[in-house]
Amino acid sequence: MNLRPYLTAFGLQWKIGLRYRIAVVAGLVAQMWFGAVTLMAYASVYHAAPDVQAPLSLRQAMTYTWIQQSFFTLLPLGCLPAIGDAARTGAIVYDLLRPVDMWNWWLSASLARLLGNAVPRAVLLACLAGPLAMLVGLGAWSLAGPASLISAALALVSIILGALLSATIVMWWNILTARTLSPLGSYAVGTPLAVLLSGMLLPLPLYPDWIRPFLLAQPFAGITDIPIRIYLGTPIPGGAATGLGLQIFWLAALTLLGRLWMRRTVNRLEVQGA
Amino acid sequence: MTQSPSRTLSGPGLYRRMAGASIVAQLRYPGTFVIQAIGNFVTTLLSFFGIWSLFHRFGSIAGWDIGTVAVLYGLVNVAFAVAETLGRGFEVFGGEYVRTGSFDRLLLRPRSTLLLLLGHELRLRPIGRFLQGLFVLAAGLWLAPHVQWSAALVLPWAIAGGAAMFLGVLIGQAALCFITVEGLEVVNVLTYGGVEAGQYPLTMFGRWLRRFITFVLPLAAVCYYPTLFSLAHPDPLGMPTWVGALSPAAGFAFLGVMILAWNRAVAGYVSSGS
Repeated sequence: MNLRPYLTAFGLQWKIGLRYRIAVVAGLVAQMWFGAVTLMAYASVYHAAPDVQAPLSLRQAMTYTWIQQSFFTLLPLGCLPAIGDAARTGAIVYDLLRPVDMWNWWLSASLARLLGNAVPRAVLLACLAGPLAMLVGLGAWSLAGPASLISAALALVSIILGALLSATIVMWWNILTARTLSPLGSYAVGTPLAVLLSGMLLPLPLYPDWIRPFLLAQPFAGITDIPIRIYLGTPIPGGAATGLGLQIFWLAALTLLGRLWMRRTVNRLEVQGA
Repeated sequence: MTQSPSRTLSGPGLYRRMAGASIVAQLRYPGTFVIQAIGNFVTTLLSFFGIWSLFHRFGSIAGWDIGTVAVLYGLVNVAFAVAETLGRGFEVFGGEYVRTGSFDRLLLRPRSTLLLLLGHELRLRPIGRFLQGLFVLAAGLWLAPHVQWSAALVLPWAIAGGAAMFLGVLIGQAALCFITVEGLEVVNVLTYGGVEAGQYPLTMFGRWLRRFITFVLPLAAVCYYPTLFSLAHPDPLGMPTWVGALSPAAGFAFLGVMILAWNRAVAGYVSSGS
């Protein structure tokens, strides 16, 4: 299989993500603000109830929040903007004509877009929330280090799987967009699902106990929640292997079903215009 | 040949016309509208589920009962929804008016630019957030102890003050566009970030943030103090309760300052040439 077209699609979207430097800084300020508000809220909730044994310690909840904030743009909030435009204008037919596997073509573009947005922000925010916060005496509010070297290595593997999983979910939004010929639906459905189910809104371990097994087992947990749990060394039932296994399972299942859905959609696609 | 005077519209008449046209336009795609409104409703309702989960796990939100927090949450969301509905023209001002130069056309019209921009769009989508906020507000009033009858007057007054404040933020953001051309996403810290901060009691935050949302952005004056007054809840920070009956006026004062800033910015406007 010739990989070059996929690498080109990846490179193009990656560069688009890096192009908007001011947007990166603006996003960083917003993420710092939301991080600070959330951290203060957690701190005062934890301090007011010192007897409650929460599944995450305050320090862990803070680290969870920082990592979650830094990977905000990694979440599958909606379809790839380029595909949204293509669906609206009818340019989507050009993608159908290319002599490439369309799933891999769109997937590499979606993955690059997510990473191009997320990686610079994550690195900057990690520096600000980690060493810099320590230096200015906000050590108690900063990003804590990984539980151990092994958990750091596993978390790295896990976040790579998480990025792939997120791109695969974006593929579902892309197909939805191709089907409805408008990107709006994918954002209306994708954003609330991703924000709630990934643990962006509240760390998944802090939800009521009866709902936690379901929250761990659904695909969005694999994007950032499972990598963060492995990083923190907080127990996942069955250990890190369960976490990685869940990620691989969802990756495989969503890819197979998604490819099937894509084939059906493409076969009966009706496009407006030329 | 002069036009008969009856053909010129008064300010409010013109606004009604523009708002009516905008509503008709949005209802042209009823499916999209319903999906977006439901998405909006669900997103905001889920975010209250996050707060409820914290309450459920820790037994209180930093010593506050769930009723009081629900009232705060409902208040800030309803106020923001009203501002979002009215102020869409200011939100898109940079991209759609300054960059394209079409602001020049507004300047030629014999009406206030503020009125014309308010008429840009009367956005219906925030109705989801609005209904959800009202729902949580009602639940909060039902759950909270010591609800005062005066709440029936103070809460609408607080919502009006809050909507004025958020509208002021949007107008200030638009005034900044004369310098930055594109809208600054950093301002989201004051709008969405303001909603985020406003839904927690003031006591939960550190001193710098408390000062910021009291004296720079009068968020506490339109949410926190009116809530304390309506529920006859003494302020742990020592402010007398009656302050809450008067403080929403600060939202209007903030709007006034932003309108002054807007007028100065318009006076210095140099077109990009269209």
